[in-house]
Amino acid sequence: MTKALQIAWLQVRIYLQDKSDLAFSLLLPVVTFALMYFVFGGLTQFHATAHIVNEDPGGVYSEAFIEQLEAFDELNIDLLSLDKADGKLERADLLMFIVIPEGFSEKLASGEPVELLFKQRGNGGQEQQIVAALVRSVANDISLELQAQGQVIAALVDTDTTISRIETTVERLFAEERENPTVAVTEDTIGSSPDPVEQFLPGIITMYVLFAIILSARTLVEERHLGTLERLLTTRLSVGELFAGKFIAGISRGFIQTVILMVLSYAVFQIFTPLSFVSSLLVALIFTCAASALGLVIASAVRTPDQASWVGVFFTMAMVMIGGTFFPIEEGSVMEIISRFSVNTYANDALGTLINEGGSLGDIGLEIGVLAGVIVVGLLLSRYLFKVMPGGR
Amino acid sequence: MMPVDYLVAQDLHKSFNEHKAVNGVSFTIHKREIFGLLGPNGAGKTTTIRMLSTVLEPDQGDVIIGGHLIRREAEEVRNLIGVCPQELALYVELGALDNLIFFGRMAGMSSQEAREQAMAHLKLVGLEERAKGKIDKFSGGMKRRVNLAVALMGHPELLFLDEPTVGIDPQSRNNIYETIEGLRDKGMTILHTTHYMEEADRLCDRVAIMDGGQVIALDTPHALKAQIGSPDQVTLEDVFLKMTGRSLRD
Repeated sequence: MTKALQIAWLQVRIYLQDKSDLAFSLLLPVVTFALMYFVFGGLTQFHATAHIVNEDPGGVYSEAFIEQLEAFDELNIDLLSLDKADGKLERADLLMFIVIPEGFSEKLASGEPVELLFKQRGNGGQEQQIVAALVRSVANDISLELQAQGQVIAALVDTDTTISRIETTVERLFAEERENPTVAVTEDTIGSSPDPVEQFLPGIITMYVLFAIILSARTLVEERHLGTLERLLTTRLSVGELFAGKFIAGISRGFIQTVILMVLSYAVFQIFTPLSFVSSLLVALIFTCAASALGLVIASAVRTPDQASWVGVFFTMAMVMIGGTFFPIEEGSVMEIISRFSVNTYANDALGTLINEGGSLGDIGLEIGVLAGVIVVGLLLSRYLFKVMPGGR
Repeated sequence: MMPVDYLVAQDLHKSFNEHKAVNGVSFTIHKREIFGLLGPNGAGKTTTIRMLSTVLEPDQGDVIIGGHLIRREAEEVRNLIGVCPQELALYVELGALDNLIFFGRMAGMSSQEAREQAMAHLKLVGLEERAKGKIDKFSGGMKRRVNLAVALMGHPELLFLDEPTVGIDPQSRNNIYETIEGLRDKGMTILHTTHYMEEADRLCDRVAIMDGGQVIALDTPHALKAQIGSPDQVTLEDVFLKMTGRSLRD
């Protein structure tokens, strides 16, 4: 075992000696993380802009309408002139805008019906449909308030109560209702929210681990190419020790990048609890072992460093694509069956359970079992291939 | 006193696909002898060394080194041998000392032992001042000397030198000659392949000339030269060309 550790340490030292390689491999996870932060940072909930053309500027009800829309945290209000909004819609710079017509407030005050206009390209897109739903809900609130106000005034018209008092009272009652609604909605959340960072993080972690396949695949072949492998085989080093050393070296390099990515995610996005962080690290480590073992299979089967790189790239890309790295795989689909043949599927599932569903190691026994099986089979297969390939032992 | 056979190769055969690289090679190397293996490109020298050093398994035939049959006791044989391959089998990103220490550890030495032996071997090949220098900053001759020093780690009883002086300057070559002679004087047994006939003439006690995967002549340089003329008048190169012909080998 000492010799295996010596080999692993040698590989790590060579890795540390190459400053450009070192900088590149350490910077990559940081850059990936920065990309995640800029794409998803602060935008973990629905957020959209409502483009509004107010042709009733200064109107009591138009201003109140806009004010109520501004009260939604999810909405930004963008006030535009009609010409500008038309131009943007024409150029598809925006997909929908809302027109508050001229005389909106005056007509409402006199009890006349009014119409808001939604001007849109096609159906306005999913985001603007949600905006439209929010705008409709505000319009309904105003409509209901005015209806109630009219009905109360009609009912009290023969009493001494002044109209302004009725209006103030109805307004106050509606404000109280909005504050403490009769029919309230409570959110009961299980696990964490479907945050994009949380959704993509398992895939990104496993993708970095998969890169260890290429690194592991190259290391043995490069030694063969340089002649150091043959030299090692004439020493007292056994093939088992050689493989153990290369296996540990592959794990070390692959795991370093993963740890950087996970620590940054923990520190900045606060995704993990201490327990889920440690559990996720363990899963990443087991998956790195599986990737390193698969790298040795490739290393034992190919003859040149270029072959190792290309085969490693092919397998990595194939696994990233079919293993659910960047998109969820629909349950019961053919894709799900195919994905079961890709080892990263199990790592993605395990990390997803820990990160997104608040699960524990007890919930991912199957996935850990499969990954452990891949490690054992990978090591045995690589050793067999090394023996039967020309020049092997 | 009768010489003691340290290495016995009996009827070695090795083929790669349809090509017979080694076809019935037999020879013995005496203890404390420098044995030269000469031959044109493709003669089968390197394949023979790879079989003798346990890297390749012969298709047929046996090798006994230090009383151990390679087929059955390869591990024991590896404890006795050191190999200086034709290519520079070094980790170029690391320093000379680090390379020697690493291979010393692979030869089963403790860290301290490996460090001490590495420094001694670097001194032997004239590189103690450059012990910490990175290999990729070394000249070709310095790399060759480190390549030889690595093979000495673990104090092997039998050293395989596969063209250890190819492509280097006369000073480095002379340093290697002196090192090899010094090793023989200390009792090491050496199998040496080379394309330089004057090198074989100077260093080797006996030489075998290989061609077409077979040994076509085996004797002392003096006796081989005597076969084609006066040993003082002819060179080993004359013998080599007479026996292997003048046609080009690629």
